Amino acid sequence: MKLQHHLGGLEGLGPVWTETRVFVEPWETRIFGIHTAMMALSSQLPLPATPSAFDTIWTWADLRKGAEGINPFDYFKYRYYEKWLGGISGYFIEKGYITAEELDALTEVYYADPDKALPGGGAAAIDERIIQYLVEGDSPKRDVPVGDVLSVGDKVFIKNVPTIEHTRLPGFLRNKVGTVETVYEGAYTYLCDTGPDGIGTPMPVYCVAFDPQELWPGNAEANFILYADLYSAYVLPADVAEAA
Amino acid sequence: MTDRFKYREDREAYSAARVRALEALLIQKGILTDKSVDTVLGYFETKMGPFNGAKIVARAWVDPEFKARLVADTPAAVAELDLPAGMAGAEGEHMRAVANDPGVHNLIICTLCSCYPWPVLGLPPYWYKDPTFRSRAAREPRAVLAEFGVDVPESQQIKVWDSSAQIRWFVVPERPAGTESLSESELEALVTPESMMGVALAKAA
Repeated sequence: MKLQHHLGGLEGLGPVWTETRVFVEPWETRIFGIHTAMMALSSQLPLPATPSAFDTIWTWADLRKGAEGINPFDYFKYRYYEKWLGGISGYFIEKGYITAEELDALTEVYYADPDKALPGGGAAAIDERIIQYLVEGDSPKRDVPVGDVLSVGDKVFIKNVPTIEHTRLPGFLRNKVGTVETVYEGAYTYLCDTGPDGIGTPMPVYCVAFDPQELWPGNAEANFILYADLYSAYVLPADVAEAA
Repeated sequence: MTDRFKYREDREAYSAARVRALEALLIQKGILTDKSVDTVLGYFETKMGPFNGAKIVARAWVDPEFKARLVADTPAAVAELDLPAGMAGAEGEHMRAVANDPGVHNLIICTLCSCYPWPVLGLPPYWYKDPTFRSRAAREPRAVLAEFGVDVPESQQIKVWDSSAQIRWFVVPERPAGTESLSESELEALVTPESMMGVALAKAA
């Protein structure tokens, strides 16, 4: 179990941080830009080939796996883009694009001289593809038959699937019962196969309504409803679950 | 015990140097160009941002039929407006709007990460990405909203939407009272990213 999969409902955390800025330090803009460029150049996308030396896959799933894999104390300790910087640097080292030694050495150089210029150059086609990705996106919708789907109003039981590295099933919904609010049209893949957790192939997705008093009996506020979008691999019709 | 509970004294200077070193290496090795990062950042300054969401909300305020279409089929309604290309692009492929009314206040969260509708709202503010917000808003949204200065009466139902699959959500806040004489472009100026995620109300200037 990873705490990062079970954040919803966690107690004892103190006041929220109401900071409305997107970036609180100028350096954070750079790691955001690097991440988004990597997503645009990721090798699985059906976009034009470029001269970029980047030839592996980088998606939100990779970024999320990194954040979900770190020590939960560090997850709360570090700001959002500090975690990105650690995860993305680690990816480039792990995949052999750069070495830890050269990153450390060059960090010292820029630490000593923060105004030292960046290198220049690069093919325009790389940046054209980045724009194309932002404009076109990467829809997970797939045109495949979906078979039997649930209906609005159906009661569903949320499975406690054997998640290992990554999931899109929030922990606080596991083993709970909800009601289908929306059946999204068609079928949706996920960015990677999550193995025994169960998503990755095209499947229906439902918006499911939950009564917070059933999620946290006697310990949730009154007069609200919590909705979550859930892949069909995570839900069972409640009558089927009861019979099993 | 390690220094897990301490930060480097030069925390920000070190991260600034490290991200610059990383960008330099990626340019040197032909992965990115010297313009790639600025290309991304420029795009979010001019094409994808909360200025688009503000136009959508202002139109919904002046045109109730548009508002009904926006809630029923968000992508189709957004496509009616003269917005930059890419409103169904990255992180906007499948969007859904929910509208506040006197009986219901909507709040968007992402308990697993920080899913956010880039084309219409740009990038998520820090409050949205913070683990404390993501944890608490699921169980005690009224207390969380009070910390943002929004008092939702017990009689008004709160709907919390957790962005855990493909949908990127946003809120159509209520039009503030006393704005009947304002033009659509004047109304746009009243719409903040926070009001379009549910932690603020739109207010008359």
